[in-house]
Amino acid sequence: MYKTAMLTKDLVAASSKPLLLSILAGGESYGYEIIQKVRELSGGQIEWSDGMLYPVLHRLERDGLIESEWKEADTGRERKYYFLSSGGRKALKTERQQWLAVHNSLCKLWKIKPASI
Amino acid sequence: MAGRSQLPVQIMEDQTRFDLNAAIDNWRNELAAQPNLAPDDRRELETHLRDAIAGFQQRGLNDEESFWLARRRVGQPPELVEEFVKTNPAAIWRERMFWMCLAIFLSNTLGSIARSVTFALMPVNGRSSFQMTMQIIIISLASLIPVILAVSLAKGKMVSQFSKLTLFVENRLRLAITAFLCVAISSSIWIMALARITRSDFPSSIMPGSTSALYPLIIALLLVWLMPPQNRKTPKTPKRA
Repeated sequence: MYKTAMLTKDLVAASSKPLLLSILAGGESYGYEIIQKVRELSGGQIEWSDGMLYPVLHRLERDGLIESEWKEADTGRERKYYFLSSGGRKALKTERQQWLAVHNSLCKLWKIKPASI
Repeated sequence: MAGRSQLPVQIMEDQTRFDLNAAIDNWRNELAAQPNLAPDDRRELETHLRDAIAGFQQRGLNDEESFWLARRRVGQPPELVEEFVKTNPAAIWRERMFWMCLAIFLSNTLGSIARSVTFALMPVNGRSSFQMTMQIIIISLASLIPVILAVSLAKGKMVSQFSKLTLFVENRLRLAITAFLCVAISSSIWIMALARITRSDFPSSIMPGSTSALYPLIIALLLVWLMPPQNRKTPKTPKRA
């Protein structure tokens, strides 16, 4: 098996929004957990740098797509948890349609079975 | 050392060679030294660092290894701040204010020099209305130089010539020296002009003349304070003999 390459910088930047919204659609989460989750989901192909995640989260928060709250975790320490707002849910729907449109077009071109919607 | 609990928290407290809490404190201080980072951002990054350390500890790494790996993952404070600044509206406005103050400062300095020179060149008494008009035009044009320069820069002209000028404002110290030199030069010229206009001796013009330096001095201080974080293009050379 050939080694799969890491995602390019541009793709990492473009895909961060749908990924974050989708992860938070599954329930509230915090920075460290989100990065672990992305690494796990992509099998290590998508590696977010820890420092880059927060500016993206803060931008989504300013755009009203997510909200945040400091809460005490099981460990006793406080963490900043992020969760999806109603605006975020709508934005996720749009993102989903757009990414699937790209995905399906590429699938047709490459003659592979598109993912079920 | 048999029987000692191997819980990560215990190790943290018992560590003698590497003090994890002190290391985190140091890291926090380093982060606090960075301007443009809100306290809430710092707190969030610290919880992230602690989470990352705990993650490495769970995988069996010791405190020191965990700390350094987590630190590397989170990123070096100056680079981190650069990422944060890109999305921080306060920092964006800070930079805009810097450029605004720079324009005000240059406009004021050049206008003041033009005023002093025209006053010095024209007859003290009985100036004609033509001379007064010329004086106002010259002062206005001199004050407009920064705007004209900015327009030419925006049009992509003379960019290479201007990039040489950054030598004077490369870092906070150089900017401070340049700005205060500008204030000193323009005020001394004004004091000399004032001495001529009022026909008084030089020392007695120092007091009223130097008060006109108050406004540019405040702007200069604002400039130095507002200066955006240094460019990383010019790496610091380690001073080791």
